[in-house]
Amino acid sequence: MVSVTLTVNGEKRSATVVPETTLLKLLRESFNLTGAKLGCDVGDCGACTVIVDGKLVNSCLMLAGQADGRDVLTIEGLATSDRLHPIQKAFEDKGSLQCGFCGPGVIMSAKWLLDQNPNPSVPDIRDALAGNLCRCTGYSKMIEAIQAIAQDGAKA
Amino acid sequence: MRAFDFYAAKDSSEAVALLAQHGPAVKVLAGGTDLLADLKFASATHAPKVVVDISRADDLRGIETTEQGLRIGALVTHTEIMRSPVIRDLFPALVDAAHTIGAVQTRNLGTLGGNLVTAVPSMDSGPTLVALDAIVTIAGPEGRRQVPLVEFFVGPRKTVLKPSELLVEIIIPKENVGKPAHFLKFGLRKGQALALVNVAAAIWVDWDKNTFVAPRISLGAVAPTVIHAASAERYLEGKPTTAETMVEAGKLAVNDAKPINDFRASAGYRRDLIAVLTKRALESAWELAQQKRQARTGKAH
Repeated sequence: MVSVTLTVNGEKRSATVVPETTLLKLLRESFNLTGAKLGCDVGDCGACTVIVDGKLVNSCLMLAGQADGRDVLTIEGLATSDRLHPIQKAFEDKGSLQCGFCGPGVIMSAKWLLDQNPNPSVPDIRDALAGNLCRCTGYSKMIEAIQAIAQDGAKA
Repeated sequence: MRAFDFYAAKDSSEAVALLAQHGPAVKVLAGGTDLLADLKFASATHAPKVVVDISRADDLRGIETTEQGLRIGALVTHTEIMRSPVIRDLFPALVDAAHTIGAVQTRNLGTLGGNLVTAVPSMDSGPTLVALDAIVTIAGPEGRRQVPLVEFFVGPRKTVLKPSELLVEIIIPKENVGKPAHFLKFGLRKGQALALVNVAAAIWVDWDKNTFVAPRISLGAVAPTVIHAASAERYLEGKPTTAETMVEAGKLAVNDAKPINDFRASAGYRRDLIAVLTKRALESAWELAQQKRQARTGKAH
C-alpha cells in the first residue's frame, strides 16, 4: 500500500491505496471528486485533465504515489457555491458543451492556457485543446468562449 | 492495472540500486505517459512486479553546457525543451520536434529520456538528436558508460539498456553545439498524430566554397529504429549547397530506409515522403545556417 497526502483544491487530503492506483482513481474513488472523467484511460482523450503543481496533466497517466505532496487543482476547485468560474460562465453563455463529458477536462486546459497567456490567439487555443477530444459539439464554440474571456480581460 | 510494488528513488544511484535489487521484472517510471498506458494492457507474463519511480530524482533534470557539450537530463520534459532559452537559441529543431509530440498534457509529463527508452520507431525526439550525433550516458551497477544514441536503439521498443541500467542524460557533443538543424514530421493530422515519416537534417557549411560539411540526415518511422541516411550523407559531403544536390540527397535517402505498409500509409507513400521531407529539411537547415551566419557577421553572404 502507498500512503499519500496531497493538497486538492486547497485542502489537505490523505489516503492509503494500492500502488497501481492512478491519480484519477484516487480523486474519484477516495476523495469523491468525480468531475475528472475516465475516458480512454491512456492519455488520448483528456477527459481526466487536472492541474498538478501548475502543470496540465492527464490524471489517468499519473500514479497516486507520484502525486504525493503535490498541489492538485480539479474542476471542483473552480466554481464557488454561489458563482461559476468565468470560464464555466463563458462556456454556458456560448453553448460550448452538449453532453458535457469532455467539459471538465476542456475547461481545465482553458484555465491552464489563460493562466499562462491571458490573450491567446486562435492557434494558441487550438494547441492548448489538442489533447481534449469532444465528440458532440465540436470545438468552435469552445474557442469562441475562451476568446470571449480573453477579450473581457476577466481574471480566469 | 495489475498489482506491483512501488518504490520512489530520490536520485539516480538509488534508482540503479533498486533496479539491481529487484531484477528483470522491474520497470522505470519517469513521466509515465508510455509506461502507464502499457501497464493497463500488460499480460500477466509481461507485467512488472516492481515499478521504480524516478520522477523525483533531481540529478536527472537540467539543461546545461558541460565539457562534453550540451547536456539534457533524461527527466527533462518535452515542455521544458520547448521553453528552454538555451535550446530555443541553439537548436530550434529540438523545440519543433518536442512540439509535435502528443498534446500539452503528455508533453508536460513525458520526458526526453522516456521517449528514447520506449524506442518506438516513429518517436519524434530521435531524429534531430541522431542527426546531431548525440550520445547518451547510461548508469548501471558497475558505473557509467556512454554510447552514441544511434547505437542505443536496437529495434522497435528495444534498446541496449539492461534491466539494471538507467538512461541518465543525453549529450550533444560540443563540436555540434549550434550546428544548424531542421526537423520535419508528416502525420495524418496536426494534433496527437504519429509520424508517417520524420526527418532531421544538420549541416555545417564551408562558406568559402559554399559546400556542405559534415551533413547529417536522420530518418524516423521508416526502419526498425531511427537511422542515418548514410548514402545521402556520403553524397552530400563536400557538394555545393544547391537545390539540385538537395533533391539528389532526398532521392538517395529513400534507399537508406526500409518503410513498411501499415494502416496509416503504404511503403510507397512513405518513400515519396522521405524524398520530399529530406530535401525540405536540408533547405531549411541551409536557410538557418545562412541566418546564423548573418547574425554572426552582419553580412548578407
